Amino acid sequence: MSMDTLARPDGQTKKTIEMPAPTAWPIILAFGLTLVFAGLVTSSSVSLLGAILAMSGAVGWFRDVLPHEKHESVSAIKTISPVSTSRPRVAAVEWMTEELHRARLPLEVYPIRAGVKGGMAGSVAMAFLAVMYGIISGRGMWYAINVLAAGFFPGRHALAQIGTFQWDSLLIASVLHLLVSLSVGLLYGATLPMLPRHPILLGGLVAPILWSGLVHSFIELIDPLLNQQIDWLWFALSQVGFGIVAGIVVSRQQRVPTRQHLPFAVRAGFEVLARIDKKDGGEPR
Amino acid sequence: MSTESIAWPSTPVESRSFVDRLHEWIATVDHKRLGILYMIYALVFLMIAGIEATVIRIQLIRPHNDFVSPQVFNRLFTMHGTTMIFFVIMPFLFGFANYLMPLMIGARDMAFPRLNAFSFWMTAFGGLLLYFSVVGANGLYGAGNAPDVGWFAYAPLTSRTFSIGHSTDFWTLALLVSGVGSIGTAVNIIATVLCLRCPGMTLAKMPLFAWLNLVMAGLVILCVSPLTAAQMMLVIDRYLGGHFFDTQAGGSAVIWMHFFWVFGHPEVYVLVLPAFAFASEIIPVFSRKPIFGYPVMVGATVAIGFISMSVWAHHMFTVGMSSAANNFFVISTMAIAVPTGIKIFNWLATMWGGKIEFKTPMLFCIAFLFQFLVAGLTGIMQGAAPFDWHLGNSYFVVAHFHYVIVGGILFCFFGAFYYWFPKMSGKMYSETLGKLHFWLFLIGFHLTFDFMHIPGLLGMPRRIYTYEPGRGWDTWNLIVTIGVFFQAAGILVFLGNLIWSYFRGKVAGNDPWDAWTLEWSTNSPPPVYNFASIPEVKSRRPLWDLKHPDDPDWEYE
Repeated sequence: MSMDTLARPDGQTKKTIEMPAPTAWPIILAFGLTLVFAGLVTSSSVSLLGAILAMSGAVGWFRDVLPHEKHESVSAIKTISPVSTSRPRVAAVEWMTEELHRARLPLEVYPIRAGVKGGMAGSVAMAFLAVMYGIISGRGMWYAINVLAAGFFPGRHALAQIGTFQWDSLLIASVLHLLVSLSVGLLYGATLPMLPRHPILLGGLVAPILWSGLVHSFIELIDPLLNQQIDWLWFALSQVGFGIVAGIVVSRQQRVPTRQHLPFAVRAGFEVLARIDKKDGGEPR
Repeated sequence: MSTESIAWPSTPVESRSFVDRLHEWIATVDHKRLGILYMIYALVFLMIAGIEATVIRIQLIRPHNDFVSPQVFNRLFTMHGTTMIFFVIMPFLFGFANYLMPLMIGARDMAFPRLNAFSFWMTAFGGLLLYFSVVGANGLYGAGNAPDVGWFAYAPLTSRTFSIGHSTDFWTLALLVSGVGSIGTAVNIIATVLCLRCPGMTLAKMPLFAWLNLVMAGLVILCVSPLTAAQMMLVIDRYLGGHFFDTQAGGSAVIWMHFFWVFGHPEVYVLVLPAFAFASEIIPVFSRKPIFGYPVMVGATVAIGFISMSVWAHHMFTVGMSSAANNFFVISTMAIAVPTGIKIFNWLATMWGGKIEFKTPMLFCIAFLFQFLVAGLTGIMQGAAPFDWHLGNSYFVVAHFHYVIVGGILFCFFGAFYYWFPKMSGKMYSETLGKLHFWLFLIGFHLTFDFMHIPGLLGMPRRIYTYEPGRGWDTWNLIVTIGVFFQAAGILVFLGNLIWSYFRGKVAGNDPWDAWTLEWSTNSPPPVYNFASIPEVKSRRPLWDLKHPDDPDWEYE
């Protein structure tokens, strides 16, 4: 697809653009191949005809592109059609200053490590509460761990062994607990700067209670036996414990300016960007 | 990008005979013409599949009905499902990708124009081969006709014992032929996006449309290939003495399920990602705001691509898999809701605070948002294995699936038709007829598919030919069938609008929506070469930069 330019006496420019030449070989090849397959359920003569057509189509196609691709020239006369808009004014939020124009909100965020720390701290608090529940209720300190892993061991939660130590349950429950804690911690780190007021109240109390209610509403449908093993008051308490501890840990971390406006390569640490200050003439420094 | 580099008029065309015009279309390798061929082809099959659905629903309108025979009923639901997935939605998405991709990335054509034509014709002949079964599948036994094994054709129904004649073979071969076309188009899309972007259009500055279609094409290659392999294995089983799916001879019927669903579930994302692409272009333009969270939208798209390859066996909870397998597929199914949910939040955030214009394309996209959300929620319900054990193979599943395909995907396709119709035809559609279409289809959709959940919850199995009265299903089925007629009326209005507007519509101009992507910078309809000079872009919204030189996007990206 190349292009030649010709000057015309009237000042306009006429260009010749080369486009791929139309060809019937692709349809012949496609029809031939279809007949080859159709012949399997109709008659071998149909397949034979299809094979001949397919072969012709393939050879014709090759001759179209080898040694050089066939093109046709298409002429075009240049006219200028300016791109315009019926809405030239750009609306801006009233409180926006020039510096905040197109700002990425929030202006400051918590670093990722804040979410990791919060998630890990919350996981310890939640694990402590869960083990405490097992001890206080007399079901054994391994009870909550086995319940968490019960989905992977169907039938086990109906047996007496649910209160005893099971290494495979401990392994799976630990992985699940750490992964989910880490995810929720990161979520805290990302969302706390966006919660306008009382972030600890919203993130540490309201959200865990809503989450507990949500889980309570569907766990009976998913696993009625598991549902019977859960003490929902303690479940909600452990969620709240996680939320408050994770929220406090995250909120005590130092916020950093958002880097959303920087290219991904810079944010990922692959490149370093020289600082540009438009007020100083826009020169990098 | 400069203004004068992108707008060129078409060369005046002298009148040509019908045969010449026909030859031009048959021999074309132009991506725009092939795109339109795909769409016309899909529209024809949409009508056929719609008629099949209507007959199915008439059969179920009341208990003990015998509008069609049980044999015909089986053929109808098989052909309806197969046609809608393979010969309506896929051609639609390939048509739009073909037409729009080069225009959006500032290219003159697809990377492999001849392969593009070949792929279209393979898809087209695949559909014709499928429907040739109606007259050609009687075989030696005189017992065949259209395929009747359901759109996922579980073994052993497909064995020669249970499927005599050639009806199943036509199904197999038709999908095999069209699968070759699908893979060819997918290769073309990937090569085009990766190799033909205009100067300045880095991957991070591509329209979301291009990103979503890139991931879709990757999924097509990954998921259609196993289906094609499985079809070959089925042919070997049926005619060359193979036993891949013959349980009594050491094969496995479950293997077919795995093969089919390792195609079938990613296929849902193959179908829905282009719908996401349309929403991602239409919603910002009619909200007068840039898309919210572009990088996250790209990340969510890629995440969906990966996760969608690991959820297939949630279609097989009722087969009786191990607990570990059940757990894995429950978790992966839940996980895919996260990136999908991110997208829905981002579309809502794009609309939030925007100056929303409720034009027909936007109406369809807004409906899509809410309907796809409901479809996702019922999907999560069924993603929980114990829930699925109760409702698997019931009308609840059918309702969920149609909520995705019709409420999600088809609504977006209609929105896309209205949005890009002025670009493709050079004419504006009738907004009044567009809105009439929207409301008829919306009412019909909700009458049909909202109420279809209820007989499913009450235990009505899918594919049931008729039913006893007094099971609590009667009224729901009546309402569901009434909804179909609203939908049919909507589609007739849609087709009428397209035809009327093409001949009588007002001239649209290059940029009727005051939009921001490159296709709106060239003529409507675009010349054969798209752009006289290849444009250069600096941001994701090159036309915004031109329209607002005092506040260009590139200063902030």
